[in-house]
Amino acid sequence: MVSDAGSNGDWLEQALRADALEPSTYVADDGFTARVLERLPQPAALPAWRRPVVTLLWLVLAGAVLAALPGLFYDVFRGLVATLAAQPVRLPQIAIALAVLGALAWSSLVYAMREE
Amino acid sequence: MPSAAISDAQLIARVLVHDDRHAFGELVRRYQSAVRASLRRLTGGNHALADDLAQETFLLAYRNLRSFRQEAKFSTWLYRIAYNAFLADARKMKELPLPEDFEVDDAAQSDPDEPTPVARSAALKLDLERAMAVLSDAERAAIVQCYHNDLSHEEAAYVLGCPVGTVKTHILRAKQKLKARLAGWGPEG
Repeated sequence: MVSDAGSNGDWLEQALRADALEPSTYVADDGFTARVLERLPQPAALPAWRRPVVTLLWLVLAGAVLAALPGLFYDVFRGLVATLAAQPVRLPQIAIALAVLGALAWSSLVYAMREE
Repeated sequence: MPSAAISDAQLIARVLVHDDRHAFGELVRRYQSAVRASLRRLTGGNHALADDLAQETFLLAYRNLRSFRQEAKFSTWLYRIAYNAFLADARKMKELPLPEDFEVDDAAQSDPDEPTPVARSAALKLDLERAMAVLSDAERAAIVQCYHNDLSHEEAAYVLGCPVGTVKTHILRAKQKLKARLAGWGPEG
């Protein structure tokens, strides 16, 4: 685009235009862009309390669903107890079951609290 | 990966929607030269200060990108931010005293009777740069916007935040001062 700054075509006009067109006016990047990007503000992070609260809300919701289905919950619980009572359970089996449940609970907690 | 095929508007949208740092980096790469060159002229060749102000310009552009309405070109909007950053710095500097050895080089004008056209052109360029120092900030800014940044009077008025008539007046006065300063280079000189 040609600037409309002055139009009398005098020597100064020519000198200013020639000066503006000098190829040396290109400034090499030389790490400038990287320095600007380094100084950009950090991306907004989610608040630290968000994930535990969401997990807790899901647990409350699950509890509410179970409470809303009392017959089903009772039947499932009674069946489970009957199944367990019919089985001869030994101490190592209880220990293994506790270890598996603990591992599941721990990994769920780690997953819920992980950083993005 | 952003490339030259992607328009400024698309890059800006990526920054706004996804906070895409790579897209903003591409915008900086596209315009860093123009902004830095413009600021180097505004600061009278102070490269360190010009680069500091250029960094400030792009950081402000990033923070205020949502306010860019695409009424002007992105480059023009950047020039406006750069000029405002320059003005803010100039106001700060005016509160500080000038160093004792500061002086405008009155005897700096080269001998126009150079032997070759190339040497003559180089000498004129040098004298022109020195003569720009005698202009007021507003006059120099008008010359930089209209000649070096190749903006129209209307675009320059947007960048400088003043009426078009004021831009024309600044250019007229600047050229009068430059002509007086560079009298030896004129046809009558």
